Amino acid sequence: MDARLRRVNKEIADCKNDKTSQIKIDLFDSSPFHLKGSFPGPQGTPYEGGNFEVDIIIPESYPFQPVKMKFITKVYHPNVSSASGAICLDILKDAWSPVLTLKSTLISLQSLLCSPEPNDPQDAEVAKHYMTSKASFEETARYWTQIYAGAPDPNRGKTGAGGRDEVAIAGLERAHVDKFEDMGFARSKVIDALRRLNYRGSNVAQISDERVVEELLK
Amino acid sequence: MGSDYDLSDDGEYYDEEMFDGTQDDDSEDDIEMENFGDDFKIPSKGKKKSYEVDYESLSQQDVESLMQKDVDYICGIFGVDVDTASLLLRHMKWNKEKLTEQYMDNLTAVMVAAGASASEETTPSSPIRTHSASSPTGTTTRRPSTRAASKLFGSKPAKPTPSRPIQRQPSKKPDEPFVCQICFNDAPDMQTLALDCEHTFCTECWTDYVVSKIRDESEHSIRCMAENCALVCPDSFLRGLLVPEPGAPVGDKEKEEQNLKAWSRLQELFVRYFVACNANLKFCPYPSCTNTVSCPSAASKSSLTTIVPTVSCGARGIGGESQEMSQSQQLGLSIKGKEHKFCFGCPIEGDHRPVICNVAKMWLKKCRDDSETANWIKSNTKECTNCQSTIEKNGGCNHMTCKKCKHEFCWVCMGPWSEHGTAWYSCNRYDEKTGVEARDAQSRSRASLERYLHYYNRWANHEQSAKLSLDLYAKTEKKMEEMQITSDLTWIEVQFMKKAVEEVDKCRMTLKWTYAMAYYLAKGNEKDLFEDNQRDLEKAVEDLSELLESPIEADNIPTLRQQVTNKTVYVQKRNEIVLEDTANGFMEGRWRWNVAVDGFDAPDEVVL
Repeated sequence: MDARLRRVNKEIADCKNDKTSQIKIDLFDSSPFHLKGSFPGPQGTPYEGGNFEVDIIIPESYPFQPVKMKFITKVYHPNVSSASGAICLDILKDAWSPVLTLKSTLISLQSLLCSPEPNDPQDAEVAKHYMTSKASFEETARYWTQIYAGAPDPNRGKTGAGGRDEVAIAGLERAHVDKFEDMGFARSKVIDALRRLNYRGSNVAQISDERVVEELLK
Repeated sequence: MGSDYDLSDDGEYYDEEMFDGTQDDDSEDDIEMENFGDDFKIPSKGKKKSYEVDYESLSQQDVESLMQKDVDYICGIFGVDVDTASLLLRHMKWNKEKLTEQYMDNLTAVMVAAGASASEETTPSSPIRTHSASSPTGTTTRRPSTRAASKLFGSKPAKPTPSRPIQRQPSKKPDEPFVCQICFNDAPDMQTLALDCEHTFCTECWTDYVVSKIRDESEHSIRCMAENCALVCPDSFLRGLLVPEPGAPVGDKEKEEQNLKAWSRLQELFVRYFVACNANLKFCPYPSCTNTVSCPSAASKSSLTTIVPTVSCGARGIGGESQEMSQSQQLGLSIKGKEHKFCFGCPIEGDHRPVICNVAKMWLKKCRDDSETANWIKSNTKECTNCQSTIEKNGGCNHMTCKKCKHEFCWVCMGPWSEHGTAWYSCNRYDEKTGVEARDAQSRSRASLERYLHYYNRWANHEQSAKLSLDLYAKTEKKMEEMQITSDLTWIEVQFMKKAVEEVDKCRMTLKWTYAMAYYLAKGNEKDLFEDNQRDLEKAVEDLSELLESPIEADNIPTLRQQVTNKTVYVQKRNEIVLEDTANGFMEGRWRWNVAVDGFDAPDEVVL
């Protein structure tokens, strides 16, 4: 049998048998070389309570070349692109070793959520946020975890969002929100739509205003 | 270095030239000829020209033997084996002195950093790594053994074992069957391997890993497969993986071929790395050429202000096969399989004599940045005759008002508008005195632009002609055949045409760069002389080109042959004069530039 297939099958089976690590690996379709990994957000971090999904592509020369991983779930983290989910982690590049497994790599991703490296950022905007105001960064990260990773909202039931800046927490630009609000849409609706479209960073140039309006009219 | 002679001292070099030291050069050439294999043909030169530099062409084997010399040297003084010495030298970028110093200073640290011996601390510091290491994956099971091995090694750091045996253990272990942690194969007859760190994996995985590193990543320093293990595979280990032992049973043919390919690629990577580390060496930039040139006299930056180190790697197309080729194929080869000529001092492709690297680079940059813009400005704009602002007319009548200085003038004759009255759409006053004066002022202000375009257009023209030389070769070939038919000349006798075409091609290259040089030369007698030489060469080249294009008739062939041969010799001579005079000028420090050039005095005045 193909060595790569044997190894991947074994890794998937190992993960299934292991009940303690909480790491899950599932098939997307019938191919064993395109997988979906998931793990819970580490405790004591803004990502706690969320479930994070990762797109895994096993390259032809695996395990001698690193796996390709990116977040499916949106993550507000200096080393993860807020637009594409691309991950900046040494073991996914030059520090890869063939003894690393899908599971150990996913655990490394989990650890990355615990300990961001803002000096070597993937998303410069997020890293700047982290460096300038850690508290505000964590608030946004927590909010993203609730919105995208399904973490329970601790404020649910309480009245109002208080003084929270919804726009900043959603990771959007105030100018962008204002622009569409000026067209006559409700502010909360605009925030919602822009968030769904992931209207930030380099995506802004790619998403036309018509597309946004279309989303708003849904 | 392996160079037979040292001419890095420019003074000595020049003296020799003056006293016509031909005897010496010849004997040296003879020695060289003996040293090199058939692939290397050093053109025998009766006398070294002042525009030529001394260099040596090295094949991959030659460079390998240079590397071997360094490795043997390190083996000798440190008492280590070849593998360790190679790893240490590569780690130190082949700097023997620095290696010796650091080795004496802290042997263990150098050995660990080079990946030649395992480090004592194996506990990773990064939290990410700790996490994954403590997870119940395969990595943890082997940790203790790593430590044990490194401690064992650390206990006797003063003397690294001279020959480090590669562990070729049978997979049988007393208690549990061995499972390769990479492919999860647990076949009992599996071959396994490990470096000193004892991270054991099956041979197949090792081979796949090494091949993938070499082929996909062009990596020559291949670390152990275990996570965070910094040991580097020594050469003998890699050889054992990739090169089948003689007499070994033939396995998968395709795989074996692929392994051997990786092995030869690895040798190339080693050589490339060695060459990159050594300022005296440069790898031939031609695609898939594996030769190296050694040119110690051009190794330093400062030497590049006095010489133009045009070198050739010694390869001439496909060696050895030329005898069996037809005449036309040979001609084709001489074009496509031209000598691999390149500049040792800069990345410009081909020969940029006579101008030095810095100026050539400056010129190329200017051409890339400016030429199109300058052309557009020239054809689409005029300057205000009062304030010299560049103006583009985008519509309306000829009555122009400069936006900047409010000067009113006529677009057609450039004279002041006050003399035009109401003739808005026609100007019949072109010869009026004021108009002529205004146009003069305009042309003066355009001088610098025109000046640049003058040089650029000639430069580009020669470049274009050189590009068309392939066509010219083909055409000439046809003519040569025609000549053989119409006259009773033999193939050998019509070679004068080919010779002439080659000479024209070569001279166009020189001419091209003389325009770059002339653009930057400061005004003065030197420049006038330079341009005189340039003009003579250009005239000679154009005359010869014209002769080559002239129609062939049976009765004029002897005269044509006479003329072409004469002209070719003359052109050759003019070319040499230009190259030699310029090269001498650089050595004497005779040239002055009109811009600041690294390594030269600042320009006296900015007069173009």
